[in-house]
Amino acid sequence: MLNNAFFHFLTLQLFKERSKHIGIIIISVLILFLLSSVLFISSSLRHSLNETLQVQPDFVISKVQGGENRATPLTWSNELLNIYGITHVSPRVYGRYFFKSKAKSFLIVGVDFLDEQAHKNLQKLIENIDIKTFLTQNSMLVGEGVKEYLAHNFYDKSYNFLTPKGEFKTVKIFQTLPTKTNLIGNDMMIMPMDLAREILGYGEDEVTDIGFNVPNPDEWTMINDKVSALHYDVRVVNKKEVQQSYEHLYNYKGGVFLMLFLILLSTFMLILYQRYSMVHSNERRHIGLLRALGWSIHDVLKLKLLETLSIVFISFILGVVTAYIYVFIFSAPLLKELFLGGQNLTSTIKFTPVLDFSVLSSIFFIYALPFISAVLIPVWRVAITDPKEAML
Amino acid sequence: MIQIENLYKTFQHENTSTTVLNNINLHIQQGECIILKGVSGSGKTTLLSMMAGLDKPSSGKILIEGEPISKLPDLFASQLRAKKIGMIFQHFNLFDHLSVRENVMIPLIPSGLNINEINQKVTQSLNLANISHKKEALASHLSGGEKQRTAIARALVANPNIILCDEPTANLDRTNSLLFIEILKELHNLGKTIVVATHDPLFDNVSFSNTIIPMQEGTIVEGTVVNE
Amino acid sequence: MNEILFSNPVIVYLLSELILFVLLLIAFIISIRVLIHWDFESFSPLQFKLEQQAYLVTTITLFVFSMKFLLLLYFAFTVDSLASLIAGAMCSAGVIDANEYGSPLLALKLLILFGLTLWIWVNFYDLRTKNYQWFKEKSWIFMVMFIFITIELLLDFTYFTHIDTHQPVSCCSALFGQLEGANPLPFGLNISTLLILFYLLFALVILTLLTHQSLLYIVANILFLYIAYFAVVYFFGTYIYELPTHKCPFCMLQKEYHYVGYLLWISLFLGSYIGINSAITALWLKEENQASIKIVMSLLSFFVLLCSTYVAVYYFKNGVLL
Repeated sequence: MLNNAFFHFLTLQLFKERSKHIGIIIISVLILFLLSSVLFISSSLRHSLNETLQVQPDFVISKVQGGENRATPLTWSNELLNIYGITHVSPRVYGRYFFKSKAKSFLIVGVDFLDEQAHKNLQKLIENIDIKTFLTQNSMLVGEGVKEYLAHNFYDKSYNFLTPKGEFKTVKIFQTLPTKTNLIGNDMMIMPMDLAREILGYGEDEVTDIGFNVPNPDEWTMINDKVSALHYDVRVVNKKEVQQSYEHLYNYKGGVFLMLFLILLSTFMLILYQRYSMVHSNERRHIGLLRALGWSIHDVLKLKLLETLSIVFISFILGVVTAYIYVFIFSAPLLKELFLGGQNLTSTIKFTPVLDFSVLSSIFFIYALPFISAVLIPVWRVAITDPKEAML
Repeated sequence: MIQIENLYKTFQHENTSTTVLNNINLHIQQGECIILKGVSGSGKTTLLSMMAGLDKPSSGKILIEGEPISKLPDLFASQLRAKKIGMIFQHFNLFDHLSVRENVMIPLIPSGLNINEINQKVTQSLNLANISHKKEALASHLSGGEKQRTAIARALVANPNIILCDEPTANLDRTNSLLFIEILKELHNLGKTIVVATHDPLFDNVSFSNTIIPMQEGTIVEGTVVNE
Repeated sequence: MNEILFSNPVIVYLLSELILFVLLLIAFIISIRVLIHWDFESFSPLQFKLEQQAYLVTTITLFVFSMKFLLLLYFAFTVDSLASLIAGAMCSAGVIDANEYGSPLLALKLLILFGLTLWIWVNFYDLRTKNYQWFKEKSWIFMVMFIFITIELLLDFTYFTHIDTHQPVSCCSALFGQLEGANPLPFGLNISTLLILFYLLFALVILTLLTHQSLLYIVANILFLYIAYFAVVYFFGTYIYELPTHKCPFCMLQKEYHYVGYLLWISLFLGSYIGINSAITALWLKEENQASIKIVMSLLSFFVLLCSTYVAVYYFKNGVLL
């Protein structure tokens, strides 16, 4: 049915009347650009977060007092090891260190570089690092943001931490973390666990919290209950809860945007409806002529709908591609703040390019479906133009 | 063959009704050339557009080669129009932004033929109407005579049996009008059924026309003039 | 406000359904008018106008049908994406089961697609007659479908607003797994008889299709659809997951399994829908279509082949069956 000649005529029409379509295409591309950028950012963030969570322990426990986390005794990790079904128990030391003015803070993460499990989690971060030289002196790995901030304050080679005991501790800046970890690693300082303890003020047998894995998902509930029963002052958090709260956060941001976007979308539909209803007498004569020359209503509908579809398709490609370039190549200036606002250190986040079917289909449904729906009735009205028009 | 029986057309306008066609009965045989003659408002153009199925009658029957064109679903009426009827309009009605070749191609596009077959038919038709030297020119750049020949090529491209012309010479000078009548003669010799609605006196003495039908106020005036 | 409603796919999905419904509502109102005043023999301007309006109804319905088809896939995807938001859900099975509206909604969607396919078939034949012979039949199908789609829209909103993200739901292994002693298969079948029946019914479907035994074909295809569902969930699925205990019709829609579920379910349902509707119109309107037989044959054969290939490939790679 869709023979060459039909498409030949369609492209001919589109090309010859391009000035008529250009306005709609520009508005469409703008709308698509905005929409795609936001969805790209949110899906990329979600993707990175999921990847980060993937290497996190399934469960984390910590001691609480008055609802606040307190230093967790290291002895608890032995108790965990005694519970059947628990693997990879890893005590963790981390915390925020506030820079002089207290306006900025760094995330200090202590790592037991000799522990293989911890090693695996950090593999990406410390790929090219000579661990032996790293461990022989007080050294740390820092994120881009930290590095820049310290350099700005004339700490090029090392930094002097002030421990809670009032002593200065000089730690050498060994290397920066890879840029692709910027989303989480931007304000991070990674150092040996004992050093971190000293700077954050933990005792020798204290840690921030303890992570562990439960390989069999069917046992999660049971283990959760058992661990909660170990002590009165224990808080147990599992990975799924963390993931859900992040999901909710990003859903919320994306959702609020989408709902605001609906207002824009309805305006757009109204404009489309009006634009397509406004049929020039000349155009009516053209359609009447086509009908007089043996085109059926069906043929004219097909022509007009394919014309619309081509415009939808062209705008779709243009909008999505520009958004892709804007987000993944230029790191979405301005829009980024909407999602990452309130950043501690200036960040140079590179979004991981994620272009999955789900985002594209969402964009299609929220753009193309309203577009076509809005023009369907006006297009029909044009298609039933009386062929008598040709005789006038 | 065109059969018209008891054809009426009235327009309802508020409370007054105007009768445009009043009990028309007409049988046109294959190969006949009919000239509907009358002043404007006599109903000849309305009659012509009903034969092409462009307008619907209020009652009565129009059969084109046995098919009731006014009562067919749009899909069939359009197919009938595309295959059996070639139209030539008073104002040529070309798409100004398209070339001659593209204009002539239009009636064939819904047919489902592929582009090669279409190009072949278009070339034939352009030759027949003697306009092939201008085939890539834009319709808006053509002279009146060339436009008319493009319109003829377009009417012929689907090789229809019936050619309907609505005031074909109204926008042509005398030379071009006579040229047009020559082309009609050729078509007549090819065995086409031709119906011309006109008030141009040039058609009064057309040698090949079998019948001149005078129309007045929506009726066929008694005393049909028959040439021959 | 329910946090599910902030999920982007849910917003997009509900919005799309709403817009389509508005279009259908317009078509419905026109349809009623057309049905009341329809008189093909009349020469009144009204009748000519109605014929033109019928084109609008046709255009809208065709558009809505194609969008509904895509939206069903999108719905499957949306539900799947919610699995990460709901406690306990590992795939769509749990999300569909999160409240009592999920399963009826899914069933209704499949029914609506079936009805719309029937409408397309009748419309196809109607437009080929010179007097709109099947116009009334077509319009009635549309009316009934409109009522179904209205219910569907209500269910859509009820379903998504009543998902409790904190109430843990079951995962697919709990929903589809065998309980002690209980046999989930129909007619007291076991896996081997199920498979024999599956292939036999497939042969019967092809046979009745080729010999134009419309009535027998409809029965055979409905049975085949039913049995094929169980065969995929309880046998072929385990080869897709390469895990004998993993029985779920939804997980195969996920990326881990290369979205093969979409291919599988689309070929099965589309093939059956086209085939059954073409048989219904053959019985009802006495109209036959040769092209549809080829389409149905290739879709269903593709489905059976795809299922069998998973088993064959597994056997080839591992030298044993599950």
